[in-house]
Order: sequence, then structure tokens, then C-alpha cells
Amino acid sequence: MELLITNGIVYDPINQISGEKVDILVKDGKIVSGVKNPKTIDAGGRIVMPGGVDMHTHIAGGKMNVGRMLRPEDGRRCIESRKKLTRACTGYSVPNTFATGYRYAKMGYTTTFEPAMPPLLARHTHEEFRDIPIVDKGGIPLLDNHWLIMEYVKSGDMDKLTAFIAWMMNATKGYGIKIVNAGGGEAWGWGKNVRNLDDIVPNFDITPAEIIHGLAEANERLNLPHSIHIHCNNLGHPGNYDTTLATFDLVKDVTSHNRQVMHATHIQYHSYGGSTWADMHSKADAIASYVNSHDHVTVDPGQVMFGDTTTMTADGPMEYELHMMSKRKWTNKDVELETGSGIIPIFYSRKVSVNSIQWAIGLELALLIKSPWKTAITTDHPNGAPFTRYPEIISLLMSKKRREEVLKGVHSAINKRAIISSIDRELNWADIAIMTRASPAKILGLDKHGKGHLGIGADADIAIYDISPEEDDPRKIQSALSHAKYTIKGGEIVVKDGEIVAVPEGRTYWVNPEFDGEATKAMLEDLAVKFKEYYSVSLANYPVQDAYVPHPVEIKTRCKNAS
Amino acid sequence: MFRIRSKSKPGVKMLVKLTPKKAFNIPVEAEVIKPGNFAGKGKSEIESIIVWQGNKEVMLGSIFDVEVEGVDDKDKKKIKILIEGDASRIKRIGERMTSGEIIINGSVDMHCGALMSGGKIIINGDADAWAGREMRGGEIVVEGNASNYLGAGYWGAEKGMRGGIIRVKGSAGNYVGEHMRGGEIIIGGSVGLLPGLNMSGGKIVIEGDAVLPGGEMKSGMLVVKGKVLEMLPSFRFEGKEVLDSIELKKFTGDLARGGSGTLYINSIPEV
Repeated sequence: MELLITNGIVYDPINQISGEKVDILVKDGKIVSGVKNPKTIDAGGRIVMPGGVDMHTHIAGGKMNVGRMLRPEDGRRCIESRKKLTRACTGYSVPNTFATGYRYAKMGYTTTFEPAMPPLLARHTHEEFRDIPIVDKGGIPLLDNHWLIMEYVKSGDMDKLTAFIAWMMNATKGYGIKIVNAGGGEAWGWGKNVRNLDDIVPNFDITPAEIIHGLAEANERLNLPHSIHIHCNNLGHPGNYDTTLATFDLVKDVTSHNRQVMHATHIQYHSYGGSTWADMHSKADAIASYVNSHDHVTVDPGQVMFGDTTTMTADGPMEYELHMMSKRKWTNKDVELETGSGIIPIFYSRKVSVNSIQWAIGLELALLIKSPWKTAITTDHPNGAPFTRYPEIISLLMSKKRREEVLKGVHSAINKRAIISSIDRELNWADIAIMTRASPAKILGLDKHGKGHLGIGADADIAIYDISPEEDDPRKIQSALSHAKYTIKGGEIVVKDGEIVAVPEGRTYWVNPEFDGEATKAMLEDLAVKFKEYYSVSLANYPVQDAYVPHPVEIKTRCKNAS
Repeated sequence: MFRIRSKSKPGVKMLVKLTPKKAFNIPVEAEVIKPGNFAGKGKSEIESIIVWQGNKEVMLGSIFDVEVEGVDDKDKKKIKILIEGDASRIKRIGERMTSGEIIINGSVDMHCGALMSGGKIIINGDADAWAGREMRGGEIVVEGNASNYLGAGYWGAEKGMRGGIIRVKGSAGNYVGEHMRGGEIIIGGSVGLLPGLNMSGGKIVIEGDAVLPGGEMKSGMLVVKGKVLEMLPSFRFEGKEVLDSIELKKFTGDLARGGSGTLYINSIPEV
């Protein structure tokens, strides 16, 4: 099918188009330079952007599914019955798979990455990906707490470490390296945690710093499209910004091919000053100033929004602490020799000082980091809030007036212990197009694979919003971004006037790093022992079969200096 | 021909009588049967209201003979619904009702009066599970027995009944008032396992026996006037107190959850 989108005000930051009237031509799912007999969409002065890219959203896999089981009461919210094209939708913070796909598409998003795939549960994750309609997906496997990884880091065997990661990408059909509270998952298995970068991981005699550095180096040796994707140690503790800055500094010496070497996620939870909850305050300025002055780190805020949601993370000890504070129902999981997780509902209240400051910090980070290319818009769905709150967040970033309205109703601690009220910056549409499309695509390394822009050859993933750039009413902005006028996915119109009109299956991106070397053979021998001695499954049954990834996009990389 | 007994009762402006046409096994999801929903509607309009029966949509008129007397389109408080016969396969009667009255001369299926915030339901028979679940106000009277999860929260919900009153003349099943936060439940007979499980407010009075009352209780008041067949060890004895002219033993707990609820019991089994 051919499409011609005309009269749109286009924001395509990667191609330096910022609010210009440019025609967009589509053929066979790609952006092209010429079409013969297209269907014409008259955008009528509305904003046109590439399809949204969410680089960090927990949409599938063990945790999300356990979250659904833990919270059947959440499943009673936001119920939509089956329609001709769409299946029944349930849930607010733990939506079912169908709701996830439809709701993203309705907001003009077309690419979503699950950033915490336990390797052993990769098959399950891919099964859920298949059931999430429309959007393209990718899963980033959790590797930092894997016994073999920690053993190779300890022995300093970079070749075997690299070989194992390459093997893991194949086995899990994974996209990159996720690190969560490095070493903490293993420590939690013994009822302990690691707080600082130089704490010792029980039984492995290594430190979080060594794990992070080792994985960052291996990541670059494999030339993976994305950098290491890290949830820093010490999440959610007053005074943790020190740990965060130290983590950034850890990988300063690692070099990469023209992108960051560390993406630090949901950095809001890692930007706290003070020493107790009573004096916890925003250190967003310190974090932002580091990011502003260094190019090796990118971050996403993990914005908190007031209301009920569910937190889920591989950071099991953190969730236990939350349970001890709130006494609410919780659960945690152990994933053999790989990782673990915890899940607990949470209510972020504007009457609570800490929650109000958390809300402020996310916005402060997005506003204080000068270059939108170093950040993205996330809520760490569903940890800070469900992804359906993005339009509201964008309206807050674009309007100081709206921020002031909210500030009137929050805990007064925000005046002394946060800096939000002193920030005048309002993001413009170009900033938003970067932070919701171009930047996350670039950080993930997907820009070279047709995502996040509308240049010739790019995927025809396009969103048209029912708003013109001059309109600055924050409520209008929120409503336009909530219900796209059109969402086009792979050249097919999937949303029209905020309603789903087609439900194609999305594709799954995964990375296949070529790494042939003696080390692979030796690594496989080590791995065989782990399966024989410890895993509950056999090695032959472990890798995800191709049948589980029906629409794969394989990204091949070549290793630097393989031995 | 039925007679409007209620005509003599001042205040009722509109009476809707529903008589089940025949017995059936496939349950009907009848959350539409509540006074607010019938306001200002005539016989044919009520008959054409759609309900789900199993996986099919049917009209209320195909399940019930509908008779309407009087009209009320403004003050919904003066509407009375009378279900004359067995409703033991009709679920969710009076769900989310805010005012008026429902009388069922028979038994009801699950979720009767769920989430109701006002008005009154009288069940002249038995109530199946989840009667008055997550109720916020109003009154439910069960002349027969109630089943499990009376006045509780639904699966996963951390808030059960929050207000209003439930009176059961007979006995009730397990988990009476689970996650209860307010209001009052009075049981004339005995109950099963764990009444007041995880309650944090409100009051439950059980005239008969109970098993493991007050588990994970945080606050609120639970009275068992009959025998406690099994007692949790995590309650602290505070002394004897006379309540409703009976001398009862007063406990505080559930200490396993740092709770400060009050549990009155008459006797515990000898070990």
C-alpha cells in the first residue's frame, strides 16, 4: 500500500526537520522518495512525528505476569469489552497483553522495549510479545547476577565473558545487557544486599563495580547496538545520588563506537540526597550537571505520577523494604542462578512528602538535562506510573503553568526539598519529538535500523496528532497525545481518530553478535557444568526456539578484536 | 394478582415486581436490577433492559414477568423492587445501588448488594458468596444463611466493606468481613474459618461459633459470643469485660501483624 501524508507539520529530529511542512511518502512499509498511486492523508496542519519509541517499559515476562496474578483487583480497572477487531482489555498498572498493544498504538507509539527479561523466562517473554499486538518489541536480558558472568568477571576472563554474552543473545533472542542492582540479586538469595559499588557479593568475592565495568567492556567488544542498560545500586534510598554518580564514573574509560557506554534508567529513583526519609531531598541538579558535562552516559527519568500503580523489579531486596514500610501484599521470585524479582503495589500520594519530591525529581531531571538527546520520557512502566500517563507528563514538561497548578496541591516539603518550582524551562515540540522518538531510538541503536525517524528507508511508523504547534493549552496537548489522529505502523493505518482500525503483529528485534573463538568452546564446557549441576532445565531445552519469535529482526554485529 | 402492600407504607412511589418465569441453571448477570436503574421507566422499558445470561444477551422480560405500579423519575429513594421467587441463579442484584429498596422472596446468587452505598436489600432466603462485598453504605438483611466472603473485598482487593450494615439471621461461611474497613456485620448463627481476616476497622458480631477469628486483624472490633473452635496464638489477653450483658474475654491482636484490633470471645476450647 502507498500513502502520501501531506500538509503535516513534521518533527523529525534525526533528519533535522523541526516543524516544517514536508510531504511524507510511504510504500511497502517504508518511507520512500516517490509513490505512484497513493492514498492521501491530509494532515491539515497537524503535528506529524515518527512513531513513539519506549525504551524502558515492563510489558511482558515473568514479573508482569506475576504482577497480574498478585493484583486481580487492578484487572478490574480500565475494562474494555471485545470489539470486532480488538480483544478484551483489562487492567490499569498491570494491563493484559492486548491492552498494552492497543494503548501504545492509540498514543502514537510503535516500538516498545522490555528492559528486564530473565534469561530463563525469555521463552515466556517472547510468548507474551506475540500477544502484544501492533507494536514492535525487544527484550533486554538480565545478565549481571548470572553465576557464570560473575565467575568470569572474577577471573578476568574477558574472552569467555564476551563469548557467553554472545551465546546468551542467541539463546534468549535478546537485545542487549541489562544490569539491575549489580550483585544484589545474588546477595538477596542469602537475605543480604549490596549497597555500595565496592561491597562484596556473597560467595563470588567480587564487587558491583567489577561486574558493571566488565559488562560494559564486553558490551563494546561485541559492538552491540545498545550500551549496557543499568538500574544502579542503592535504588530508592536517601543519599543514593553518590552511588549513582560513582556508577557513571566507573565506565568513563570505556570507549564505544559513537554512542553512550552506559544508559542509566529510571534515574529519578537514584537522585536522592539526605540520609533518612525525613531529610530526603532532590539531587536532580547534581545528576543533571554530570550528564550535561559528560557524553558517555544517557539517562531516562522514570517519572512518578500520583496515584495507584504496581512496582516490579529484579531488585528483590528493594521490594522487600517497600513491603516493610507499607505492609502491603508483595511477592518475590528467584530465577535459579540468574536473577530474581519482587513485586508490590504502591500508592504515590501528593500528601506524602517523599512521593511529592519523587514526582518533582523526575520532572527536574527532564528539564535540567540540557540536551534532550541524552534522555527520554519514561515512567519505568508500571513502577512510576502506567505508560498511559505519558501525555500528562509531556503536558507538564511543556507548561510551567500546569506544573504550578499541581504544585499547589502537593506536600509543602517540595518547596524546600525539591527544585521544581524554580525551573522555568518549558519543552517545545521539537524537544518532545526527540525525547519520545529520536533519542530513545538512538540510545537503543535502533535509528540505524529504521526507527525513530522519517528519512528515506526508515520504517513507516508515523503518528499524527490532532493539534497544531501553536496550541499551548496543556490539557489540549494531553488529550491530543492520548488519542492519535492517525497511527501508522509499518505503512499500515492502525489507529484513526483514536480508535484501533487494524491489528498487525509487531516484530521482535534481537541482536546476533558474531563471536567465534576458542573462548566459545571453553565457555560452553563451563556452561554445561552449570546446567548439569544447578539449572532445573537441560542446556538443550534452554534456548528460545525460532518458532517463538515469528517476526524476528536480527541485527548482526561483528566483534572487535576477538581472539 | 399481587397487591401493593407497600401502598400502605408511606414513601414508596413506584413498585417494580419481577417474577421469575421458570427455573434456570445458567446464571444471569443482573447488575441492572437496582432502583436507580428503573427510575422513570415503564413496564416495556424495563422488560427490554439487556442482561447477560451465560455468554448470551437476553432481555429482562424473557426471564421475568414484570409488573410496574406507580412512577418515580426524580426521587429514586422511593422505588421498591420486589423479586417474587427464586433468584438463586441471579447474580449481582443491587450492585452499586445508592437508594431505594429491593426485597427478594427467595434466595440470591453471588454479589448481591456488592459495592452498594445506600438503600436496603432484604433477602427472604439465602445469599450466596460475596453478598455486600466492598459495600460502602446502606443495609442488607439476610433472613436465611449467607455464604463465604460476606462483606469482604473481591479477589486481590485490599479494601472490603467500608460502611453500612449487614444482618444475617442464620449462619455465614468463611472469611466474613475479610479486609473490612468500616461498617457493621451481625451474624445470628455461626461462621466458618477466619472471620475478620485482615480487618482494619468496623465491627463484626457473631452470636454463634467461629474458627480462628481475627487473623491478621489490624484494628476494628470482632465479637464471638458462642464458642471459638480454634484460636490463633497471636492475641494478647487483656481481661474480662461485660458486653451486651455477657461476660466476655477481651484480646488484642493480631500481634503477628502488629495489630491493635479488639477481639471479644466467650470461650475457647480446652487443649
